[in-house]
Amino acid sequence: MFQFVVDVALRACDLMLIAVGMSAVYSLMKFPNIALAQYAAMGAFLAIVLQRAGLPLVPSSIVAVLIVGVVAVLLNRVLFERMLAIGSSTAMIGSLAVSMVISAIFLVIIGPSPARFNLEITRPLRVLGARITEHQVLSLGITAAAISVFAILLFKTDLGRCMRATATNNLLADATGIDTRKTKTAVVAISACLAALGGIIITMKGEVNIQTGLDLLLPVFSAAILGGLGNPLGAVGGAIVIAMAETLITNVNFGPILGQDLVFLPAAYATAGSFVILVLTLLWRPRGLFISEVKRV
Amino acid sequence: MFDFLIHVLIMCCLYSMLALSLNLQVGFGGLMNFGQIALFGCGAYGAALAYKYDLGFASGILIAVGLSAFVSWAFAGIGRNLQSDYWGIATLALAEVVRIIVTNEGWLTGGAQGISGIKPLLPELSGRSQQLGNLAICGAVLLVALLACMRLTRSRYGLGLKLMREEPQLAQSVGYDIMSLKRGCMIFSGFIAAAAGFIFAHYITFVGPDQMFSSETFLIWAMIVIGGLGNHFGAVFGAFLLQFIFAFIPFVKDMLGLPTEFVAAMRLVLIGGGLIGFILWRRTGLFPEKVGGRADG
Amino acid sequence: MAEPVLKISGVAKSYGANQVLKDINLEVGAQEIVGLLGPNGCGKSTLLNLSSGFARADAGSIIFGGHDITAWGVERIAQAGLVRTFQLPSMPHRMTVAEVLRAADSRGVQFKTMFAPDRSSMQEVDALLEGLSLSHVRNLPAGSLSGGQKKLLSIALALRTNPKLICLDEPTAGVHPNLRHSMVQLLRRVSERGIALLIVEHDMHFIRELCSRCVVLDRGEVIANCVPASLTSNERVVEAYLGSARDKGAIA
Repeated sequence: MFQFVVDVALRACDLMLIAVGMSAVYSLMKFPNIALAQYAAMGAFLAIVLQRAGLPLVPSSIVAVLIVGVVAVLLNRVLFERMLAIGSSTAMIGSLAVSMVISAIFLVIIGPSPARFNLEITRPLRVLGARITEHQVLSLGITAAAISVFAILLFKTDLGRCMRATATNNLLADATGIDTRKTKTAVVAISACLAALGGIIITMKGEVNIQTGLDLLLPVFSAAILGGLGNPLGAVGGAIVIAMAETLITNVNFGPILGQDLVFLPAAYATAGSFVILVLTLLWRPRGLFISEVKRV
Repeated sequence: MFDFLIHVLIMCCLYSMLALSLNLQVGFGGLMNFGQIALFGCGAYGAALAYKYDLGFASGILIAVGLSAFVSWAFAGIGRNLQSDYWGIATLALAEVVRIIVTNEGWLTGGAQGISGIKPLLPELSGRSQQLGNLAICGAVLLVALLACMRLTRSRYGLGLKLMREEPQLAQSVGYDIMSLKRGCMIFSGFIAAAAGFIFAHYITFVGPDQMFSSETFLIWAMIVIGGLGNHFGAVFGAFLLQFIFAFIPFVKDMLGLPTEFVAAMRLVLIGGGLIGFILWRRTGLFPEKVGGRADG
Repeated sequence: MAEPVLKISGVAKSYGANQVLKDINLEVGAQEIVGLLGPNGCGKSTLLNLSSGFARADAGSIIFGGHDITAWGVERIAQAGLVRTFQLPSMPHRMTVAEVLRAADSRGVQFKTMFAPDRSSMQEVDALLEGLSLSHVRNLPAGSLSGGQKKLLSIALALRTNPKLICLDEPTAGVHPNLRHSMVQLLRRVSERGIALLIVEHDMHFIRELCSRCVVLDRGEVIANCVPASLTSNERVVEAYLGSARDKGAIA
């Protein structure tokens, strides 16, 4: 039973940081940025490259996260701001195009095979009957820490106040003297860093390949939309719900219903399930599960 | 070389139909459909299922029509209260769900292996004459589709669509049922996409879920953006242009001695880069929409 | 007296805790031109939205041409013959003025007749444009018109639907004074064709020239229902617009 909780927590962590980033950047930029999923993969690839170049794991990760933040700000200034001036749908298509070009760059530089961190293999621990590796525990811890730092940033700092104000009403925030351009730049950087960190954490537990970004896109969208796009901390709840649904779908034994011993749904149906949840959410509760300030859907 | 060219032209015709279909949805209906490939799949699997269960060519058409009508209707139905970018995400998710189900329900669809051995279009002919015959059929169907699209957008229904795409409230206030307009647009364009899939199945004689990846939809998007949204000739031109370029990338790769990843990377760069370039510098595409329709206004 | 074409009875509407309309009773006769006035925030636009289907009343009923349209959707009401114009008309940029007018006739457009060609009489469209002095912009994108031209165009659009009642939302707001006169002429001609008009307006000259009757709203209630001439002598109306003597005293 506790294994179930562990599985859900781990899968939720996979999605959480990127989903929070997605929601945060949407709340200010007002368009769903598809490239964010690639920022996650980018963070992982960069960290691996840095580690292979000799830098230890932790500094590699930090540097990688920062580089992704810078790249995101540049892309935003050069491309996304101009596309957004045309329209939010245009910006979304543009972000899709950017994500494809990033994929191409990965393909050429790193190649089609998956990449991994150089980690020592440790014996899995046994906690309350569940198997969990040290790295998985570490990933849980880092995720929790990152979310906490982000929450503190959002609610206890000046920047956070500016972020929330600009998200609620851009014009008004401008008029009251908030530098909305700087705030937006900050959010773009922070959300990209969160995504990159998310990518590194996922890769720590397994591997990263050129498909990783695309594979993450819809589940992350599901989590972010479920939590309410524009409600960054709602994405935490969204990620947990998606993780629960995915784990349930593949762990429930449908055998007794069908008169057989063991009938499980194939693993791919886990992701299909989260997509169905996404569509159902958009149909019936497009503002997300939690009360938020999301107005237009 | 000549045979290869005929094959490329056949693929151009089929992609043109997909582009015409998506152009109707995006350019005229304001429907940002990211699940277009699912409609293609309805046609392809309609043909395949008819073959698998020995139901005959005509039944294949019926199944294809039925499946595509259902999927189109479902896509339109979820759009009731959704803004276009969210609707795009939902269609992307639904198309992926369809692909996952098709991949896993092998008892029906042949699973990941798909269904092969489908009867070719002109079994009496062989070799080059069969290829030329295929090309003639594809060209003829493309022509019919093109004429139908042109007729539609000049009709009263087309005028309603054009009014609805920019000013849905205005359209409603003069009596248009916009849900019905959207549904009609989706269903009709869905037929065209399914027709492309159906012919494709009988041409390649094989159908599989790998033909339904979302990357195909993105390619068709690039075709219509580059070709020119709201212009039927633009859609066809964009399809021919991109297909020709893609067909010759492997030759360039061999000539320059580049690794195999180059082909996939080049495709991504062309699609992504093409989209970005045209969005920023020539949003109307190579063949802009003719505002005002025919010369008599 | 003949059946009114529009009969609003006991209509109420709240947005959250804010009760915008309390108990509205209003009638528009078959060939009347009725003005709907009141200070900002009195609920005029809300009433228009309720009548045209853009919002749902919380209570009461709206009867149009014998049908109870209280719960009807926008397009159904428009098809029945009640059309409205918008305060800030937004026009498509990818359609010409002539095209938009051709598109305004939505009767019979449905999936079954999807390919039915556009048989719009170009004469009818051109005549409409001529009557509005908009012939010179006929082939321009509708979205590029000036605000005043767009307002005229939206009246033309309403006419194309063969309406029984047109609800106009502040037709002269932001319109050049010269154009205002043309608009009065235009609306008089429309009325002569047997179309009823319900006009939300602020411009008193406009109302005086055009309307046979005025209904004044204040804070969600009808406070006057009379001919325009007697408005200035109506104490409640004056109070609503200018504030009561007590308020004036408080400022000093």
